[in-house]
Amino acid sequence: MLRPSTHRLLLLLPTATYRTAAFVEAARRLGVGLTVASERPSTFQHANPGGLVTLDLSDPDRAAAQARAFAREHPLQGVVGVDDDTAVVAAAIAGALGLRGNDVAAARAARDKHEQRTSLAAAGVAVPHFRLVRVDEDPRRLAAGVPYPCVLKPLRLAASRGVIRADTPEGFVAAFERVKRILEQAGCEKRDEASVEWHAYRSILVEDFVPGREVALEGLLVAGELRVLALFDKPDPLDGPYFEETIYVTPSRLPADEQRAVAACAERAAAALGLREGPVHAELRVNGSGPWLIELAARPIGGQCSGALRFEIRETGKGKEETLSLEEIVIRHALGMNLPALEREPQASGVMMIPVPGAGVLREVRGLDQARGQPLVEEIIITAHPGQELVPWPEGARYPGFIFARGRTPEAVEAALRAAHRQLQFVIASD
Amino acid sequence: MNPAEIRITAEPIDTGRCKFVVSEPVHAGGARRFASPDEASGSPLAEAIFALPGADVAEVIVSGNLVTVVKRSPVPWQTVGKAVGEAIRAALAGAGPAVVPKPAAAATPGTDDDALYERVADLFESQVNPMVARHGGRVELIDVQDAVVMVRMAGGCQGCGMADVTLRQGIEAMLQQHVPDVKGVVDITDHAAGSNPYFAAAKK
Repeated sequence: MLRPSTHRLLLLLPTATYRTAAFVEAARRLGVGLTVASERPSTFQHANPGGLVTLDLSDPDRAAAQARAFAREHPLQGVVGVDDDTAVVAAAIAGALGLRGNDVAAARAARDKHEQRTSLAAAGVAVPHFRLVRVDEDPRRLAAGVPYPCVLKPLRLAASRGVIRADTPEGFVAAFERVKRILEQAGCEKRDEASVEWHAYRSILVEDFVPGREVALEGLLVAGELRVLALFDKPDPLDGPYFEETIYVTPSRLPADEQRAVAACAERAAAALGLREGPVHAELRVNGSGPWLIELAARPIGGQCSGALRFEIRETGKGKEETLSLEEIVIRHALGMNLPALEREPQASGVMMIPVPGAGVLREVRGLDQARGQPLVEEIIITAHPGQELVPWPEGARYPGFIFARGRTPEAVEAALRAAHRQLQFVIASD
Repeated sequence: MNPAEIRITAEPIDTGRCKFVVSEPVHAGGARRFASPDEASGSPLAEAIFALPGADVAEVIVSGNLVTVVKRSPVPWQTVGKAVGEAIRAALAGAGPAVVPKPAAAATPGTDDDALYERVADLFESQVNPMVARHGGRVELIDVQDAVVMVRMAGGCQGCGMADVTLRQGIEAMLQQHVPDVKGVVDITDHAAGSNPYFAAAKK
């Protein structure tokens, strides 16, 4: 049952997030009081008015005012957002209530790909050359003026939704029209939100394609200093034309000096955006010119991928070890709780975001027992439910599930993830 | 029963908890929860799971064709799960029942699970289920054992992305307020089988 605590955390959980179980369980393990805020009311809100609240997560200023009113009766000691949008809301609430967090301007700059590119380029952080175009411009004229290969990106969509590589002017025009349709669809999905920043759905970022190996850095900012929690390799080449992610494996197999350069690049990027507190998830490419910052988000890793991370606290002299999840670290930091030296577990670990196998309605998943029986595979979570429509990238943004493995080496973990995936068969009705 | 024909699917919830969905009924007489090797005595399946070396099992819950195991050890479910599967197969192949019905004397002195069950059932009927029904959901009270409430979610709650919020911030908070003698709530839902969740998740 709930334990009394002097700490109360406001956890911003959109109803479509994958992150609910991990954060709710982390708060329980830490014994902190929890208030869950969502954009739609819980049916239990009147029964537990201190534990559940509805905030307008589409409008950070309004949400901050609502949180301020809530906090008069239920004092809050920390706030955590779990995705790009709620990171901005969390910053607004932190500012309004005097809690630990980032400036709203910094969180906004991290959320918007064009603002981010502009800030980073101005600060001398290596980013691809970019330009912003409007969806009502003539793509044929634009196609004549961009270098190839290039990448077209929506400003706000998550999980590489709508990100397309173009290698030729003809490819650019086709990609432009496709991204435009995706943005129209995404805008329709937001039509009920009062404060949508519509320019984000009427603009496309066009940038150089940067070749190289891609890595993801998971970190925590404490008073502006970056603590690297994990560096993941992404062993499947992300060369397009679409950028659906698959495997993350840590520790990275990059040479130590390149890993240090990656961390330094991410720290410079966070500073350039003005981020000072909380989790960051950065994606970088590494080639002969060094690390390039592709994206930095003021939130922890998305999906259920945090399950690949475990941290150990060693209490010197007591011989006692404690294991922490990424979510526990994020909550401890937000509440100003003791944050000891953290080390990721000694084992290699990895996660595969299961690729969407095709378009259609999911009927069943076969081969789960065989996949779970593969050596080193610890867990397979199928998040798509029977009857759910599966939409491939670039229109889609939902993985049907996640595979987790742990082992002695990153190579062994990667092989285990691939072996498990080969056992799975998704039965899809395409009509 | 031929053990080789028994199909078992492990569905880890997190590093400490895992549900095992068995193709055959394991225990038909409601739910049984075992919180120690002593409580498991007489039930071959629970005895075997508590005896697994290195797993440091803390709890075993058996209901219908579901076996939920809670462990303290960091040993991965990939390792422990195979041993649990063998224990389930061996127990089902045995001459007697895998799990014996709860003896009347098994209740912890000072608690009255039957009385708690009635109070929890009343709360579910009068308040909890009318609330979740607004989202097409239903919460079934499976049992109360040693003041721990076991529930199964259905309809819009089964597989819902906010099911943990409903469980912890809704149901558990209401139990704490209205039936404070309840010590905990365990969700034994097979959420992966939910076909109509009220909220479905998307990355980030």
